[in-house]
Amino acid sequence: MAASNPFPLSRDDLIQCYRTMRTIREFEERLHVDFARGDIPGFVHLYAGEEATAVGIMSHLGDGDRIASTHRGHGHCIAKGVDPVKMMMEIYGKKGGSCNGKGGSMHIADLSKGMMGANGILGAGAPLVCGAALAAKYRKKNEVAINFVGDGASNQGTFLESLNLAAVWNLPALFVIENNGYAEATSRDYATAVDSYVDRAAGFGMPGITVDGTDFFAVYEAAGEIIRRAREGGGPSLLECKMVRFYGHFEGDAQTYRAAGELDDIRANHDCLKIFGATVTGAGVIAESELRSIDDQVLALIEDAVKQAKAAPLPPPSDLLTDVYVSY
Amino acid sequence: MVSHGSGMQDCIGIIANPVSARDVRRIVANASSLQISERVNIVLRVLSTVRSFGVKRVLMMPDRAGIRAMLVRHLSRERNLHHVFPDVEFLDINAASTVDDTILAARMMGEAGVRAIVVLGGDGTHRAVIKGCSTVPIAGLSTGTNNAFPEMREPTIAAMAVALYATGRLSAAQALASNKVLHVSINDGERQDIALVDAVISTDRYIGSRALWKTDSLREVYLTFADPQAIGLSALGGLLQPVGRRDPGGLAVRLSDDPATRRLWLRVPIAPGMIRDAGIADWEQMPADREFAVGLQAGIVALDGEREMPFDANDRVRITVRSNAFSTVDVARCMQIAACEGLFRFTSQTDQT
Repeated sequence: MAASNPFPLSRDDLIQCYRTMRTIREFEERLHVDFARGDIPGFVHLYAGEEATAVGIMSHLGDGDRIASTHRGHGHCIAKGVDPVKMMMEIYGKKGGSCNGKGGSMHIADLSKGMMGANGILGAGAPLVCGAALAAKYRKKNEVAINFVGDGASNQGTFLESLNLAAVWNLPALFVIENNGYAEATSRDYATAVDSYVDRAAGFGMPGITVDGTDFFAVYEAAGEIIRRAREGGGPSLLECKMVRFYGHFEGDAQTYRAAGELDDIRANHDCLKIFGATVTGAGVIAESELRSIDDQVLALIEDAVKQAKAAPLPPPSDLLTDVYVSY
Repeated sequence: MVSHGSGMQDCIGIIANPVSARDVRRIVANASSLQISERVNIVLRVLSTVRSFGVKRVLMMPDRAGIRAMLVRHLSRERNLHHVFPDVEFLDINAASTVDDTILAARMMGEAGVRAIVVLGGDGTHRAVIKGCSTVPIAGLSTGTNNAFPEMREPTIAAMAVALYATGRLSAAQALASNKVLHVSINDGERQDIALVDAVISTDRYIGSRALWKTDSLREVYLTFADPQAIGLSALGGLLQPVGRRDPGGLAVRLSDDPATRRLWLRVPIAPGMIRDAGIADWEQMPADREFAVGLQAGIVALDGEREMPFDANDRVRITVRSNAFSTVDVARCMQIAACEGLFRFTSQTDQT
């Protein structure tokens, strides 16, 4: 393509970011189908629609930077570099998965990638991130630790206590509130006394900003600033990403709390992949045909992941007590 | 829905933006971030004040980012305490907490026939209100980041002025001032927009997180007025050649990093607490209604501090200052006239309920 690139990432990096977002989307769309068919044990909470936030933030991170995720963690895992095939095997509860099939959707972890784990306990990631950030501060390698938390879980005491700790210890800890408007089925209007997540940061003397979480470039730019600040010793900050989720809180959620036409509007007008695609093709940096080619490659990857997951064995009973305790 | 006409003669609107002053300038500078609870306090002060001066009905923009929910709780408590407030009616809008809410709310308030709109926000919020409705006078209360347009003033005083105008005790000739806008047109109106304070041409070519604070990307600055006490992009003009809000025309400033064309460095407060040197090539007055052609081949037009309109070499970008574009309540003049005419004097204490 002849057009000069106006974006703050190289063409190759833009393509990689699109590939990662598309991988998350197809991973989740496939789980939506397979879960409804009864193929998957346990529960799944899908990240579809929220991809720009995970990828916009994780594009700034290396394996030494650590994140703590949520119950809706598949997108964070893929964006942080966890192998989607091993993730699929994990969600299918199979040996060879990220945690050898014993964790499932809400406990996927890969410490080699700095992914400290999805987490089934709401608000539980924030204290872990304070620990990781304290370690990063001692290691002096300019690493950061990032906590993802939903708008509902940000009302948990653990989260608020962690903001305090990160501020008083001046930790390279960042708190990303993924605000999709609903705490499970409860509107934030009802359940949050001060309905501004940026105000939470101000209460602990740290800066907080809000961005459109469906716009990859808005997230990328804002995340770049807060991450750079933390790496240089500027301390913690909070980033609220306003986003949409395409599916319910969990698979099987009837979503009766949604307004009429809300989901159609979300898919038509707030799809971060469509917005990204229109932006980069409109600028003449990536051709539409290139994006479709990536889509095909990603579909094949997910299909292969499901095949491998279905073919893999279940963990044997003898695995029950392995990987439970660490021996030093 | 709000009915048009009856009962609206003393009605005012309030548009309080819950998401102004939330952008990345809180990270790259130490820009302030007015908390939702403070914004609600301001709205409560406006409400109680206008009620004391006879305004009995207020239309408000709803939001899903905190102000409505907290205000409703506060009004309930205030009623328990027997404090007197106007009837507050939220517009029937499915709020998305985007700028579209503000534009739609302003339009609906204009159609409903409110006498004035009180605006809480920064330059960007005020611009959105005028995009929605330019025929109703506005009174701005500064809660944004750079705030060149809304003046810093205690909301109680602004609300008193608004109420005096809304209830007819001050005429339009006494209470209102007219304002300029910048009209931006790309390809003879194919895309068009307005700015109340500044239209800035930057070499950035994507919208991203919208805020603009890096002086090395700036190429041209077009201003409706240039106040030497302003911060932000308009300070680039205000510190070179001040132009008043009521003066005819505006100011165009061209920047340059090239020593061959750079005439001087200007040290400006480009964001709150952020002083930067900008290379200045030249500047000139912008007579009203004269079209100025943007010289940069490809970049973005930032309107009132936010990246909005990308363009490339195939686009023709034109910028024009237009006079008498909309009215504001001139609070200082209102209070001066009202005091001199004895509008606050009474022979006996009256029941204000």
